Amino acid sequence: MTATLTGGKPRAVASRGPAPRSRPRRRVAPYLFVLPALLLFAVFKIYPIGRSFVISLHKTVGGSERFVGADNYTRLMGDPLFWTALKNTAVILVVQVPVMLALATGLAVALNSTLLRGRALFRLGFFLPMITGLVAYGIVFSVLLGKDYGLVNWLLGLAGLDPVPWLTDPLWAKVSLGLALTWHYTGYNAVILLARLQTVPAELYDAAAVDGAGAWTSFRHVTLPGLRPALLLTTVLSTIGTLQIFDEPYVLTGGGPDNATLTIGVYLYQNAFKYFDFGYASAIAYALAVLIGILGVIQFRFLGDKS
Amino acid sequence: MELERRRVLRMGGAVAAGAGLTALTACSGTGATGQEGAAGDKDKGKISVWSWQGPAAEMKALVPEFNKKYPGIEVTVEDIGNPAIWDKITTGLAANGQGLADVLHIGVDYLPGYVEKFPGGLADLGPLGANAYRDAFAQGMWQTVSPDGKRVNALPWEANSAGFYYRADLFEKAGVDAEALQTWEETIEAGKEIKQKTGAHLLGIDKPASQADAANFFQMLLQLQGAFYFSLSGEITLDSPEAVKAMTLIKTMNDAGLVSDLAGGWNALMSSLKQGTAAVLPMPTWFGGIIQEQVPEEAGKWKVRLPPAVRRGGSSAATVNSTHLAVAGASKHQAAAWSFVEFVLTRPASQVQIYKGKGIAPALMKAYDDAVFHEPSPYFSGQRKGEVFLEALKAPSPAFNYTADYARALKLVTDAQSKVLLGGADPAKVLKDAADQLGRQTGRKVRR
Repeated sequence: MTATLTGGKPRAVASRGPAPRSRPRRRVAPYLFVLPALLLFAVFKIYPIGRSFVISLHKTVGGSERFVGADNYTRLMGDPLFWTALKNTAVILVVQVPVMLALATGLAVALNSTLLRGRALFRLGFFLPMITGLVAYGIVFSVLLGKDYGLVNWLLGLAGLDPVPWLTDPLWAKVSLGLALTWHYTGYNAVILLARLQTVPAELYDAAAVDGAGAWTSFRHVTLPGLRPALLLTTVLSTIGTLQIFDEPYVLTGGGPDNATLTIGVYLYQNAFKYFDFGYASAIAYALAVLIGILGVIQFRFLGDKS
Repeated sequence: MELERRRVLRMGGAVAAGAGLTALTACSGTGATGQEGAAGDKDKGKISVWSWQGPAAEMKALVPEFNKKYPGIEVTVEDIGNPAIWDKITTGLAANGQGLADVLHIGVDYLPGYVEKFPGGLADLGPLGANAYRDAFAQGMWQTVSPDGKRVNALPWEANSAGFYYRADLFEKAGVDAEALQTWEETIEAGKEIKQKTGAHLLGIDKPASQADAANFFQMLLQLQGAFYFSLSGEITLDSPEAVKAMTLIKTMNDAGLVSDLAGGWNALMSSLKQGTAAVLPMPTWFGGIIQEQVPEEAGKWKVRLPPAVRRGGSSAATVNSTHLAVAGASKHQAAAWSFVEFVLTRPASQVQIYKGKGIAPALMKAYDDAVFHEPSPYFSGQRKGEVFLEALKAPSPAFNYTADYARALKLVTDAQSKVLLGGADPAKVLKDAADQLGRQTGRKVRR
């Protein structure tokens, strides 16, 4: 910004009259406008990020902070619970995210269809879960999935099926978590994909039709390539979101039973606020940040726009 | 817009420096407890109190009487809720006391952690006058609030003994004499009779451990043997023979189909209580008030006794938990806060009133002189419920070392218990794994 103004002869400014009286003075305003945002960013983002790195190199011993170097990180590598949390998170990433994005893509295509009446209503309906309060949604799901008095099991009972231990069996708890996440985020991703879908020119579909492409072929060769940037965005966002996932397991299962739904976020929380082990929690946070960075780079490599 | 860039920069610099300074003071760890003159006035000031549900209501009810003695102190009692209060206190202490209330209600499971991880976070009540009450409380209580015998971190409130609340009508129907049960092995046999004749389970456990409370029963069995997760010197004793015995009893009950699943924690417990799923509720003193409140129509069906021993001839008395009032180290009105704590906890009349309101059992031994602890209870079939627990409080009971790592230990125990209850794992093995894991996490030695 500054470079274009100072470099070369004054352009638009000069045409208005004589050269500005004093340039530095004129250039104060932009800084003033960004200053509040910068300050907030520095105080609430940069400072905590730096501070938590410092904390991650310390350990509280007898009430005072002692510098322990990389101890917290080496401890992390040998901590079976951290690996359990990582594994659980990876399972969600590998199973739930693709299912959700496939659903979202299908949903976006359906919501984009001109055959559908009341499209706005449907779009709203699928997006609404996104803005539902976490606690309300947690409670609704625990009421639905309760073993003895849950609505889902009651319905299964009507169909003559045995009750499913949705939240109390290690495997089913993972399934329940996946269901809750899918319900929560599918609509959100569908809306992003839908927005992109509307930029795909109709002529391409016409051309495909002229070439004799059926619905599936035109979906594969027109819709999907058109969606590519939006798919990359939703994949990266979902990956980051999944790695940081905390709310759902915290409210639904507390990370249990027997750590079956323990995620990195929940484990971090437990170490900081249950065990007061802030140094170790900070180390977990940094490990998580590095992981997100690596996965982000990989995804851009594979899905990114080549141009 | 006549501001010059330099001036803007200077301003920005000042703000940034200011932010840096606050950050620095915020990080300085133990400081800012304000030893100089922070005690304030003993009978003047505005103080706030954090507690939860029942106890909060009872403290609120005491305020008018308190104000008769201390008209200059304005008290606000806040019901933060349990377990929300623990996160709130943790954050407050981590922020060096910013935003904390003056008086904090703290459970024995959290107290050592707060004291160890946030030195100075809680005021030393000794200089404020707490030492005068050294011998006023139930056994082991003073050691709990003042482990080194010098600093007094809090003052004891509740002392909960292990209890055995049971449905007398179900026991009768099954033809079992509940009062005659001497050991838990006998109780398991009785449980089989009850299950067969009435369909009710012996007791319930939150099998997938949806709440940390899930290990309460295990812990009670451990404490009845005078054992705990840590030794008094702080070594890990999670896989002691006592612990294996306790977990094996639980497994035996579960394998015999005597344990109902209370997955979901408190709500599940309450609905089980209302539906009469279990014949026995092995719960501490305070739970009597809950039973009375939740199923008033079952008056006369319930009885209470101390739990059977784990081994024949063993103890049936154990103080399973306690709660305490502490004063925040950052409080500007420590003396006034202390006046309130003293009024609530050391005056028998206050404790008697609280007991009448919610059945909360005081640690203050003098309170038990009041007739209310010796009256027959119509709800509990005319039993003298207060005396049952008083007997336990008077029995020799060892102190238990919760340490700052209790939360970690508890998590490992609940996981181990889930493995046993849901997957049929071997108690000795899961407890050994848990002990080893705890040793790695905390650097403590495992005593074997």
